[in-house]
Amino acid sequence: MKRKLYLGLLVGLFWLLRGSEVFAQQTDHKKSGQGFEHVHALAMDAEGRILFLGTHTGLFRSEDGGKSWKKVTLSAKHSHLDIMAVAHDPRDPKMIYVGTHEAGIFKTPDGGTTWGQANTGLGGLDVHGLALDPNVPSKLHAAVREKGDGIYRATDGGGKWVRVDDGPGGEVKVLTSVNISTGMGGIFLYAGTAEGLQRSPDCF
Amino acid sequence: MGGLPTNRTVNGFAVVDPKIMYVAMRDGLFKSTDAGETWKRTGGELKNLAAVAINPKKPNKVYVATMDGKIYMSADAGMKWKKQQ
Repeated sequence: MKRKLYLGLLVGLFWLLRGSEVFAQQTDHKKSGQGFEHVHALAMDAEGRILFLGTHTGLFRSEDGGKSWKKVTLSAKHSHLDIMAVAHDPRDPKMIYVGTHEAGIFKTPDGGTTWGQANTGLGGLDVHGLALDPNVPSKLHAAVREKGDGIYRATDGGGKWVRVDDGPGGEVKVLTSVNISTGMGGIFLYAGTAEGLQRSPDCF
Repeated sequence: MGGLPTNRTVNGFAVVDPKIMYVAMRDGLFKSTDAGETWKRTGGELKNLAAVAINPKKPNKVYVATMDGKIYMSADAGMKWKKQQ
């Protein structure tokens, strides 16, 4: 009788612990799904493994298709960055670029472990769009707002930016290079803006 | 660009192929299969969308984020959607 009671207690304890573990996991997931204010960008790496979410409260990454998220720290100096754009290299899944509202462009060559700013030549630090050329991933375009507004181009992976165009009318929300030939030696740049979807040849 | 709501903010844009394009708007998700010439609403009742992304290895897998951070995934190129969190 005593042995049965002991066994029963053990089974009960097992289910109690198992239940609390499941509950803890669900709580974690629930927690991780909260706290996103004003989502600005969503992107998946070239291997289709990691989702990146750019929000008003920072950059987050998910390895389970968006069920749970971990915050990514870009800079010890900037603890609360507003992430406006995320662009990944189509050939190198570890190379990621991020555009921010207040500190310009950050770049990581190792999947997000180390980040550095890539702002040389930018007229301002409010970056609302970032596009990598799918044919030449070291060629990028960035949409800058407010101070120094316009479209900037870098041909060396973000090492040096040059202003090349005024950009589309209306606030840019997203910028993407699309592999459609213009017939003039370039491809098209698509911009999601406050005035709708607009496109322009990228041979400014 | 026929078929997209006019003079409305386009928050998100994603492309594969490159003829297949998705646009995320407050009004919902829109898809083009002819490089943006014509657009049709997809994604059922999805609204208030901030961004859209495509899995480059499996282009039928599409993700959208609402403005307040809810993530939905479609495994059939935008027909059926499942909330992720």
